[in-house]
Amino acid sequence: MASEERYQNRIELLQGTLDMLILRTLQWGPEHGHGIGLAIRNSSEDVLQVEHGSLYPALHRLRKQGLIDAEWKMTENKQRARYYRLTPKGKKVLATEESRWNRMVEAIARVMRPATK
Amino acid sequence: MRPWHWLFRRSQEERELDEELRFHLSEEAQLRIDRGESRESAWRSARQDFGNITSAQEVTRDMWGWTALERAAQDVRFAVRMLRKNVAFTAVALAALTLGIGATTAMFSVVYSVLLKPMTFPEPERVVMLWERQPSGRNNVVQTHNFLDWRQRNRSFLNIAAYLGVPANLSGDGDPVQVPGVRVTSGFFEILGAAPLFGRTIQAADDAVGAPPVAVLSAGLWQRRFGGRTDVLGQKIRVNGVPCEIIGVMPAGFEVPSLAADLYTPMQFDLANPGRGRNYRTVARLKPGVSTSAADADMQAIAAQLAQERPEDDYRWGVNIVPLLEQTVGDSRSTLLVLLGAVAFVLLIACANVANLLLMRGSARRREMTVRMALGAGRWRLLHQLIIESLLLSVSGGLMGFALAWWGVPVIVNSLPAGFPLPRSGEIAVDYRILGFTLFLSIACGVFFGIFPVWQMNRARMNDSLRQGGRGQTASSRGIRNALVVTEIGLAVLLVIGAGLMLRSFLLLHQTDPGFRLEHLLTFRMLLVPSKYPDAPRRAAVVEQMLDRIRALPLVSSASSIHVLPMTGGNSGTGYYRLDRPTPAIGAGTGGEISVISDRYFQTMGIPLLAGRDFDARDRLNAPAVAILNKSAARQMYPDENPVGKRMNVFWSGTPDVEIVGVVADIRHDGLNVEPSPTMFLPNAQRPNSFNSLVVRTKGDPAPVVAAVKEQMHQIDPDQGAFEIRTMEQLTAQSIARPKVQATLMGVFGLVALVLACVGIYAVVSYSVEQRTREMGIRLALGAAPLSILQMVLREGLFLAGGGILAGLLAAAGLTRYLSTLLYAVRPTDTLVYASVSATLAAAALAGCYFPARRATRVDPAVVLREE
Repeated sequence: MASEERYQNRIELLQGTLDMLILRTLQWGPEHGHGIGLAIRNSSEDVLQVEHGSLYPALHRLRKQGLIDAEWKMTENKQRARYYRLTPKGKKVLATEESRWNRMVEAIARVMRPATK
Repeated sequence: MRPWHWLFRRSQEERELDEELRFHLSEEAQLRIDRGESRESAWRSARQDFGNITSAQEVTRDMWGWTALERAAQDVRFAVRMLRKNVAFTAVALAALTLGIGATTAMFSVVYSVLLKPMTFPEPERVVMLWERQPSGRNNVVQTHNFLDWRQRNRSFLNIAAYLGVPANLSGDGDPVQVPGVRVTSGFFEILGAAPLFGRTIQAADDAVGAPPVAVLSAGLWQRRFGGRTDVLGQKIRVNGVPCEIIGVMPAGFEVPSLAADLYTPMQFDLANPGRGRNYRTVARLKPGVSTSAADADMQAIAAQLAQERPEDDYRWGVNIVPLLEQTVGDSRSTLLVLLGAVAFVLLIACANVANLLLMRGSARRREMTVRMALGAGRWRLLHQLIIESLLLSVSGGLMGFALAWWGVPVIVNSLPAGFPLPRSGEIAVDYRILGFTLFLSIACGVFFGIFPVWQMNRARMNDSLRQGGRGQTASSRGIRNALVVTEIGLAVLLVIGAGLMLRSFLLLHQTDPGFRLEHLLTFRMLLVPSKYPDAPRRAAVVEQMLDRIRALPLVSSASSIHVLPMTGGNSGTGYYRLDRPTPAIGAGTGGEISVISDRYFQTMGIPLLAGRDFDARDRLNAPAVAILNKSAARQMYPDENPVGKRMNVFWSGTPDVEIVGVVADIRHDGLNVEPSPTMFLPNAQRPNSFNSLVVRTKGDPAPVVAAVKEQMHQIDPDQGAFEIRTMEQLTAQSIARPKVQATLMGVFGLVALVLACVGIYAVVSYSVEQRTREMGIRLALGAAPLSILQMVLREGLFLAGGGILAGLLAAAGLTRYLSTLLYAVRPTDTLVYASVSATLAAAALAGCYFPARRATRVDPAVVLREE
């Protein structure tokens, strides 16, 4: 029992942030799973090492919530891949998530570096 | 979305997820190859980066929502596979469950239909029966005066109706027959909420004295006598010689409370001369909003008034209110509940057995579980799997059990002898409500026996068992198994003791000497048509003429009559006192049962005359009134004197003072299980009764005599029928039918419990031997004698059996007192039963252990050691 609980905790910990990162990445246009993972890694300058395994559950979750759409398309290398795309609803959620995130970062920053203020 | 959509979606989603993940890995690998890694290491690190692929798939699948269902389906498929792999295990478990759940379902359907289901008319809970309460507290039928006053003075009931069961002679077309009839006051049908099938029921106008005679038919009589023709309304039927107009037919299933009736006629009380005898049953319907207890208070106040107004009749008498359902169910309640309890214990034993089998298999499967776990199956998933397997077993067993009950209950109910004392037996049905119960029960069973393997798995340390090569048997699981077996044996002891007590009780009852000779004795129950025989001389004469003719028949050795036959569950009662002593105060008198008989009754029955003489030709209507006492009455009234020649006063409807002319031996008149009561006998020639059953002692087989006797009766009176013709042996068997069925059913349950408990101990001991084969082998190799191994195993088994028997005896000592109302002449702690049951169980347990113990001694040390 114990191991199972720990596992689920980890997903929950990542959930909010990872979801936001995915939405954010899709803002630039449709992308497939691998591309999303790559984009997160690259734009965070390799700091955020997304375990790819957790990417797919997150994608499915977002799709279920109606924040993103999926569509099978051909890649430039003529391979079939599932491309994800923001829905209007996803865009709205991303906007609120972003402002929430910003507020949180500011708040944390104020706590962490009170002197600079 | 269409409900079946997920079936197609599932495989598609699955495929797409696979493809997506494959694509991801190949992209990732390509990326690394482009960076210059070798193909092999690129793929490896791509996989590493990804993490656990299976888990990603599972977590993703979890999010599809319907996977819980889909996973359950998968588990069920797997469970079916596992169950099919272990045919022997599955067959044993299913058989035990089918029997256990089937028997419980069957018993429950009876309990539900008889005790719980509301009766089939509107607002049955508002219908009660009103009884007069004897000074002793017992219920008594009601007097006309009291009924009329109750009806007039109460403020609690919409209406009260009186009714009286009287056989009705039907004649006219065809054979004269006597059918059970009932006379009712108006309002009777309304109180019971019963509408006629067609026509109308008895109204107030029909109930007035002098109103044209009318009759309502039961559905059964309508079918039998009139072939179900709808033109019967307005036709005349001769009831007791009087043509009555048929005004209505009641629907099938309409029942008169605590009576059987085929014909309903108006009561038509003769208000000018109501009589003081107590004869009537009454039903009443509570007014809306009036509770039973409020009605009770109301009636007690009325009874107190009446006791003051008419102390000669009502001093110390009162009223009892009994809800109709309670009245109908009567004393079958305790029987049914005891049997349901017994069958539930059988089911519990069956479940404990299955739990044990599962535990043993669980131990054997520990390796499988460990491997599956090591391969990444979630622990929760495995528990899920175990529970699904248990539920699959229990629900399959439950469905088969339901089928068994569905098929078996009607067969059993139909095979009950006519007149078997089970009320509402026509309503017993195994229907969807019972199916709900069965399913609930099955799931409860599945959870019950499924919980043990789960518990065991939770406690076992998985990696340990891998290391041990799966041979290990943890102490905890062994403890559970032993506890289960001890419980099983304990329950079996309890049940077999219950069965033993009932069996012993029944045998004692069966062997009880009724005080007269049962064989070759024919009885004809009849009622003399009151309109034809309105007065005493005519009633006395017709019985005498019939008896004269019957006695003359060649196959008849003796014949007589009595107004209430023995072994039919009751007798008339009255009060009497000695005339040579001061008149007792009102309510302080003595009394007992009373029988009106023709002469030679004692000779016909085979009852010894102890003193004085039998009634004879001297005892005519105008001769001095005489009476005979039985031994109990003689001892009650004349403890140290000879009663013959003494004079007594009797209350029995206007009987003059009587002189005692004889004393006879006691018989068990009311039933084999009822001690003889003090009884006074009056001669039919002097106090002729309308109820008069003939008793005929035949020289050989009674069957051929029936027609001849009927023929003689019809020659005297073509309208006269007999409504029940039975041999005394049949009547006696009928009177002990319930104890017999109780003992039989308990016996069956006890036997099943015994077998299950033996299987249980056998399985546990064999398993333990199997598990310890290696230990035995080493012991034998080190020089242990086979006998000592045998003893060791037997000791283990007997230890379990001893614990179970002890637990069972303690439980029995505590619980069997609930049986005491069902037992006759046997105490619930009967030592003989307890001792013999303990011995039987011990012997059975020993047999259960012996075979595995023998096997243990035959272990070949060489083979065992080589297996390492």
